[in-house]
Amino acid sequence: MSHNETNGEDIRFNREEEDDDEGDGRGLDAWERVYADERSWESLQEDESGLLRPVDNKTLLHAQYRRRLRTATSIRIQKGLIRYLYIVLDLSRAASEMDYKPSRMIVVARQVEAFIREFFDQNPLSQLGLVTLKDGVAHSLTDLGGSPESHIKVLMGKLECSGDASLQNGLDLVHSLLNQIPSYGHREVLILYSALSTCDPGDVTEAIQKCKSSKIRCSVIGLAAELYVCKCLCQETGGSYNVALDEPHLKELILEHAPPPPAIAEFATPNLIKMGFPQRAAEGVISICSCHKEAKSGGGYICPRCRARICELPSECQICGLILVSSPHLARSYHHLFPITPFDDVSPLVSNDPRKLLKNCFGCQQSLLNPGNYSYHLLATSILFHI
Amino acid sequence: MKFQIEDVTVYFPYDNIYPEQYEYMIELKRVLDAKGHCVLEMPTGTGKTIALLSLITSYSLSKPSSPLKLIYCTRTVHEMEKTLAELKFLYKYQVQMLGPSAGILALGLSSRKNLCVNPNVVSAENRDSVDAACRKLTASWVRSMAIENRNVPTCEFYENYEKVASNVVLPPGVYTLQDLRVFGKEKGWCPYFLARYMVRSANVVVYSYQYLLDPKVAGIISKEMQRESVVVFDEAHNIDNVCIEALSVSVRRQTLEGATRNISRMSQEIERLKATDAGRLRAEYNRLVEGLAQRGNLPIADTWFANPTLPEDILKEAVPGNIRRAEHFLSVLRRLVQYFKGRLLAENVEKEGPVTFVASINTQVGIDQKMLRFCYDRLHSLLLTLEITDTDEFLHIQSICDLATLVGTYTRGFSIIIEPFDERMPHIPDPVLQLCCHDASLAIKPVFERFQSVVITSGTLSPIDLYPRLLNFDPKVSRSFTMSLTRDCICPMVLTRGSDQLPVSTKYDLRSDPGVEKNYGKLLLEMVSVVPDGVVCFFVSYSYMDGIVNSWHESGILKEIMQHKLVFIETQDVVETTLALDNYRRACDCGRGAVFFSVARGKVAEGIDFDRHYGRLVIMFGVPFQYTLSRVLLARLEYLRETFQIKEGDFLTFDALRQAAQCVGRVIRSKADYGMMIFADKRYSRHDKRSKLPGWILSHLRDAHLNLSTDMAVHIAREFLKRMAQPYDKTGAIGRKTLMSQEDLKKMHSNGGGMFS
Repeated sequence: MSHNETNGEDIRFNREEEDDDEGDGRGLDAWERVYADERSWESLQEDESGLLRPVDNKTLLHAQYRRRLRTATSIRIQKGLIRYLYIVLDLSRAASEMDYKPSRMIVVARQVEAFIREFFDQNPLSQLGLVTLKDGVAHSLTDLGGSPESHIKVLMGKLECSGDASLQNGLDLVHSLLNQIPSYGHREVLILYSALSTCDPGDVTEAIQKCKSSKIRCSVIGLAAELYVCKCLCQETGGSYNVALDEPHLKELILEHAPPPPAIAEFATPNLIKMGFPQRAAEGVISICSCHKEAKSGGGYICPRCRARICELPSECQICGLILVSSPHLARSYHHLFPITPFDDVSPLVSNDPRKLLKNCFGCQQSLLNPGNYSYHLLATSILFHI
Repeated sequence: MKFQIEDVTVYFPYDNIYPEQYEYMIELKRVLDAKGHCVLEMPTGTGKTIALLSLITSYSLSKPSSPLKLIYCTRTVHEMEKTLAELKFLYKYQVQMLGPSAGILALGLSSRKNLCVNPNVVSAENRDSVDAACRKLTASWVRSMAIENRNVPTCEFYENYEKVASNVVLPPGVYTLQDLRVFGKEKGWCPYFLARYMVRSANVVVYSYQYLLDPKVAGIISKEMQRESVVVFDEAHNIDNVCIEALSVSVRRQTLEGATRNISRMSQEIERLKATDAGRLRAEYNRLVEGLAQRGNLPIADTWFANPTLPEDILKEAVPGNIRRAEHFLSVLRRLVQYFKGRLLAENVEKEGPVTFVASINTQVGIDQKMLRFCYDRLHSLLLTLEITDTDEFLHIQSICDLATLVGTYTRGFSIIIEPFDERMPHIPDPVLQLCCHDASLAIKPVFERFQSVVITSGTLSPIDLYPRLLNFDPKVSRSFTMSLTRDCICPMVLTRGSDQLPVSTKYDLRSDPGVEKNYGKLLLEMVSVVPDGVVCFFVSYSYMDGIVNSWHESGILKEIMQHKLVFIETQDVVETTLALDNYRRACDCGRGAVFFSVARGKVAEGIDFDRHYGRLVIMFGVPFQYTLSRVLLARLEYLRETFQIKEGDFLTFDALRQAAQCVGRVIRSKADYGMMIFADKRYSRHDKRSKLPGWILSHLRDAHLNLSTDMAVHIAREFLKRMAQPYDKTGAIGRKTLMSQEDLKKMHSNGGGMFS
C-alpha cells in the first residue's frame, strides 16, 4: 500500500514540475525580472529529497478562500463602528532583532503607519492611541485621537528599543485609559509583540481578567513564535492571536484589524448617540480655532450647537463635547454592516459564451459587456451601491 | 462509531478514528485470534490506550461463549487513573449502544495507601506503615482477641466487609480508585479487600506491573487469574528493568543492623511465648513437620508476603528439620547475618556466582542450600506464629531472607557483587552486597506461560526485535506504527557542531573539554532566545549536569540565559524536584519562560509530561549511556552475550537510545501539540545510533537536519516555530486525511477488503 502511495506522489510531483516549467516560460526570463525585494531565496524551500522548490502557498490560498467565505456569511453580524483602539508596540530588546530587515522595530513601525491610515479610512468615527513597552514599563505615546498624521509623527520620532517587555504593565495602562471612554464605544487593544517572554511585577493573569471584565478586546500579533500568555489573553478577551511568517504576512495580519470586528454580545444593545454634522466655515473668515487655540482663516468647521470652530473631522467638540462627523464618514462606516455580497466566479470558458453571461450588473444595471466600463463599474458598486 | 474488523464488531466511543489506531486494532485482533503474544510500538498521542481497550472489550463482547479477561498493567497510579477514565467513557458508549448486556466489571487495584478509607490507618506516612497499620487492625489473631476483649481496636470497614464476604457483589461498571473508596465508604466495606476479592471475577483489571511481575506480590494477588486473559503492559519500554529489579536484592550495613535488631526482638518474643503459650510454638512445629505449606488456608488479611521465587521453583516439600524449631531458625539467621557482615568488610570488589556463594556460606557458617531456600517461608511462618503486626519494622530481615531464598534457588542468571565503595566516590565507604538478576526473562516467563495473550506496547520500543530476545519469547506480531499528522508537528534535529564548527559530544575524551561545554552553553543560550515558554534540557548524569552548570555559571552563560528564561534544576531530592517543577510550570504559564535542567533516567525523564507550552523544545545533551564501569552492568552484559548472543555495544546503544527517545518524547503528547527535539551530540549522526530511534521520530528526521551546527539549528527553529504558530486546521484540509469516519471505514472495507491482509 505504502509503495503505491509513494508512486502516486512521484507522479504528482513530476506533473507539478512540468507545470512549473511552463509557468516560468510564460513570464519573463529570470534575468529580465526586477527584483522588488532582494530576498528572492525566501520564496524557495527545500523538500524532503533536498530539491529546491517554490514555497508551497496552497495553505495561504486556502486561508484566503476561507476568509472570503467567512465575510460572506457574516452579513448579519452586528459590528462595533465606533472603536477606541490602542496599539501597543513592543520596543523591548527583542524588537532590535534583524530577522525582519532591517529590524523588527522598523518593519513594525512601517506597517503600523500603513495601518493607521487604513484604520481611519475605514473607521472614520473611531479613535486610536499608541502605547509602547520598553525597559519593563509602558508609556502612553499618544492619547486617543482621530488624526492619523499626529500619531504617525509621534511614532516615527520615538523609535528606539531597550530592556524587557512587560505585558502586565501594558495591559494595566491601557485598561486605565480605556476605562474612561463612554459605553457605546468598543474598546480594543492591538498588541504587536516581538518578545518571547514578559517580565511582570505581578500576576499577568489578573491584568487579563481585568481587561476581560471591562470588555476590552485584546488581539496580539506575534513576530517570532506562539506565546502561551498571549494566546490566553486573546482567548479570554475574545481577540485574535496570529504570528507573522514574514513581512507581507505581517502586513496582511495587521490590516485584518482595520475593518471593525463583530460586537461583543453584551455590547450589542442598540444605543442612541447624539452627533452633530457641522458646516464648513466660509472661506476667508478668521476665527479662533478651539483645538489649536489660535486664530485661523478659512477651512474648518463650525459646531452646530456651540458654534466653535474645529479644524478636522471627525472629532469631539472641545467646548460642548458633541461628536462631530460628516455624513460621508457615517456612510463609509455603514458599509461594514452590509458588506457586498460575494461576486460569483465566472470561469473564462463560460465568459466566452455570450449567451450565458449576464449582461448587466445585478446591483447597478450597468452593462458588463463594455470593457471600458469595467473599472468604473467596480468603483461604482463599491461606493454608490452600498451607501 | 461502530465497525467490523473481520468477525468482530468494534465499538469505538469517538466519531472518528486515526488510521494508525485502526491498523493497531487489526494487528491486535490477529494476535487475540492466534492466542499469542505481541510487541506493538505506537507513538504517544495517537490514542493507543483507547484503541486497546475498545478492541479487547469488543472482542470479548462478540464472543460471549469464551469471555476474555483483560489485565492492564501500568507503571504509575496516575496512568492507572487515566486508563480507567478512558475505560469509563468507552463503557458508557458500549452500554448506550448495546444495552445492559454489555455490562462489564472493571476496576483498579492499588496498595492500601491508595485505597484505604479508615482515617486512622491512611494517615500513616508511607506505604509500608499503612500496610502495617492495617494489619494491626485486621490480622486474624487481633480480631479473635477483639471478640473477647472489646477494647482491642479493629477496623470497622474490614469487619463489615468480612460479615458479607461471601456474597459481596459490585454492580457492573467501571471503578476507579476514587470510585472504590466512595463505594466502600457508602457501604461501610473495606475497598481494598473488596477490590482484591472482586479482581477474580472482574472483566477488566488495571493494576501496577509489580502485581504480575514481582513474585512476592504476584503470588498473593494474581494467583487466581484465569488462563483466558489478555495481559497488556503499557509504557513497557523499561519492562526488562522492572523484571530484573523484581528479582534483585541489595544489602547494606543498615540492613544488617536492622536485621540484627529484628532477630533479637524475635528471640524476646519467643521467650515470652515459651513462658505464656508454649502450645502455639509446638503447633507450628507440628505443622512444619507435616509439611503444610503455610499459605493455603490463611485468611486474606494475613497473607502479606509470598515466596520471592517463581511459582514453579518453589519446593513442594516439608521444611528441613534443622530449622523447624523457632530457636534453631533464629540461630541460622543470626549466623547468616554474621556472615554477610563479614563479607561486607571486604576491601576489594568481589564478584561470585550463586553456586560459589552458597558453597562458601556452607563451609563458613554451615547453612546448606536447602535451608537457604526455605528461609523466606520459614520467616513468614514464624512471624505469623509470633503474631507480629508491625511488619514495616521487619523489612530488613525480610530482605535478608529474600536474598537467601533467591540465592538458594537459582544457579544461573544471577551474580553476587560486593562493592566496598561507590566507584564514583571512592573516599566514602559504603559497602553493599548485591544479588543481581541478569535475566529479564526469568520474572516474566510465568506470565507468558500462564496467560493466553500478552501485549507489550509503548511509544518507544525500537529496535523492536530486541525485546523478544531480552524477554525470551516468541511474538506472533511485532510491529511499529507511525503517526499520521495533519502537519509536521515534530521537528527532530541532530546537532553535531557548535557555533565554532567544532564537534560536540559527551564522549569521555571530549566531555570536560571547555570548548564543548562552551558550545553547549551557546546552543542553549541561542535557543532560549528564539523559543517561547518552556525548554527542557536533559543531561547524561547528575555529575555531568553539576559540572557543566558550574562551568556555565563561571563563564557567565547562565546569567545570560537567565535574562531570557528562569532556570530550574532537578535534584535527587523528590520534594525539591516537585517544587522546582511546580514553579517551572508557573513560569511557563505566566509568560516569563523557563528552562528545566533534568537528567536522563531520572524521575522527570520517566514520568513527567512536558506537553504544550510546558515544552516547546527539548535538548538532549549527549548520549545517555549507562555508567559502563558499573560492576552490575558489566555482569549483565556478560550474561547477555553468553546467553542471548547480544553484543555489549548493541545493548548499550539500544539502552541509551531508548532513554533518549523517552526523554525527547516527553514534549509531544497529542497531535495538536508541537515541539522540537535537538539531539546534541555528534554520535547521533552515525547510522548505528540513529537507526535505533523509534520510527515516528526517524520519519520526521530529514537528511538536511542530520548534521547541523548551532546557527543552522537556530534558523530551523525560528522557521518551525513560526510555521507551527499558524492556525491549526484539525481536519487536515490540505489533502492529508488523518481522521476516518464510519463511512470511510466501510468504503475501505468494501472496495479494498484485502488492503491490510
